[in-house]
Amino acid sequence: MLQYDQLQTLYRTLLVFATVAMVILAVGLVEFVYFEPPGQVTGVKARIVGVFEYDPATGQLIDGDRSTFSRNQEFAAEVSWAGLPDNLSVDARWYDTFGNIVGRVGPSTPAELGPQSIVPVTVPQGLHHNLPGHYTFVVERLKDGLPVEVLARRIVLVERS
Amino acid sequence: MSTGPYTTPPAANPHPRLRPGRYGIAAAIAAVVVLALIASSLLNYVYLDTIPGRTSLYGLLAVALIALGTYIGVRAFTRDRASRRKHLIRAGVLLGMGVLLWLLVVDVFVFTQAAGPQVAAICALACLPTTAFGLLVVRRMDRNEKEPWRLVLVAAAWGAIVATSLVIWGESLWEATAVRTLVPGPGLDASSAFSAGLLEELAKGLAVVLLFLVMRNDFDDVVDGIVYGAAVGLGFNFMESVTYMTNLYAIFSPEGFGWYAAGFQWYARQVLGLFFGHATYTAFIGAGLGVARQLSSTRQKAFAILSGFLIAIAGHFSWDAWLTFFPIDNTLFGLVEIHLRTLIMTGPFTFALIALLLFGIRYEAMALADQLRKEAGTGSGAILPEEVPILASPWQRFKQRLRAFQRGGFRAYFKVARLQSAQLDLAMERWHRERREIDEPLEAEDALRQKVIELRHWVVSP
Repeated sequence: MLQYDQLQTLYRTLLVFATVAMVILAVGLVEFVYFEPPGQVTGVKARIVGVFEYDPATGQLIDGDRSTFSRNQEFAAEVSWAGLPDNLSVDARWYDTFGNIVGRVGPSTPAELGPQSIVPVTVPQGLHHNLPGHYTFVVERLKDGLPVEVLARRIVLVERS
Repeated sequence: MSTGPYTTPPAANPHPRLRPGRYGIAAAIAAVVVLALIASSLLNYVYLDTIPGRTSLYGLLAVALIALGTYIGVRAFTRDRASRRKHLIRAGVLLGMGVLLWLLVVDVFVFTQAAGPQVAAICALACLPTTAFGLLVVRRMDRNEKEPWRLVLVAAAWGAIVATSLVIWGESLWEATAVRTLVPGPGLDASSAFSAGLLEELAKGLAVVLLFLVMRNDFDDVVDGIVYGAAVGLGFNFMESVTYMTNLYAIFSPEGFGWYAAGFQWYARQVLGLFFGHATYTAFIGAGLGVARQLSSTRQKAFAILSGFLIAIAGHFSWDAWLTFFPIDNTLFGLVEIHLRTLIMTGPFTFALIALLLFGIRYEAMALADQLRKEAGTGSGAILPEEVPILASPWQRFKQRLRAFQRGGFRAYFKVARLQSAQLDLAMERWHRERREIDEPLEAEDALRQKVIELRHWVVSP
């Protein structure tokens, strides 16, 4: 009888831990919904003109649109802010392969961001070149300071060699 | 079926057909795993980079050889002495072929990566002693009846080779979809964390489920479950560490600190996270299965197993999702922060697991002491009344072995160790039979008793 009770104690302890686990997973779900709120699709699309090699000295784009770069090539995205409703709060960001923001303009209205159509990737402090991996460029709509919708997206690869 | 005196009652378990049922479930799970691996490899080959895709396809054969070899090897120990050797040789050949092919796959894969084979070999060698230390500690946690090395190593091998292969495609697909549809930031991080928690824990947990279904004689209770689960987690952690170390070396070596990046990963995963990460998560799955092993109600069994998986998934999820909420300063204090972060985020799970383990060990020890006393009371000669206090205490058992060592060296030490182990096996068998948790006939218990008596003659003889 004593042994039976002890097994039941183990079983109940496991159930208590499982309840805490469900709370953790529920918090995770709430977090996901908070940062990815449903019903935020406006149907508005931004236009990314392309991703180009970039000369930081002159601020000019070089050659044509590309999807692959070497580590020692600097690159930037060109966005056309025209056509976006002026009552939107928007920004544009580059994320590196580790999810760090490595380039950004905004947030502001499309009209104010108009002249800032080129968004370069900046080499992180302490490094000589860009880190290899996939880079994601997004044009986002913000609500209460939080990005809630991706209006345009582009993924490029920085090769290891 | 014998009609001798042992057949009243014929068996402790009134439902002996449970065993074929369990094996059927195990066979179904194994078939699903193999199909998933085949599908994953084919999809990798078609859609992912060509070289990793090819290695994935060739790796499938290695996985199949290792799976077949371990199955034959593990089952060999339940056969009679005459055919055991033959089956062990077959298992050895298959395992050897599997390992060679796997090494070939790793070589091919590594040669195509920027890090190069030497870096990968150094990373793997660096992770071997720490993982071996982890397995040693985990196995020793079971103070009363240590699990056989062959099963602990099978569990670790599953974690390292099969579980990692199982999750490649699922995680790649999830990640590719999430990156193309979600807003980058904490929402995407949470999605990736759900992917890792769900898929990796399911893939690792399958190994513990299969051990639970097939090797019931070596899966006694919550303590055994924790040992097997932690072993699977340590195997997975080994392979993941090697992958991350080589990858980060390749990324950061052109900047001049590739070894620093790889070394930091080694410390974070193989020292700081050795017991705090995968080992803890998967041990919870084992704990759930171990508790379920001894429960009589089917409903409670299901809840216990589900609980183990839920805790493992939540623990893994919380680390992956909320890691970014604990940023590390790029200062000397960052070294302290790294340790604090692990302690705060994974510590509660590890301490909860240790609480379950300690409770399980105490429960097992009390039950075994009770059975040792009962067996001594039968006068069968397998366990003598004066041996009960010695066998009930790990420390007293060790002292008895030491005394044997002083008398007759290592040979005597191991003879006594084998006798003690057989006596504890008998007590464990009695415990399961009393609780009606066993589907072996009573003759099996008597065979164990006979084995103890034979070993006792062997120990006392010069």
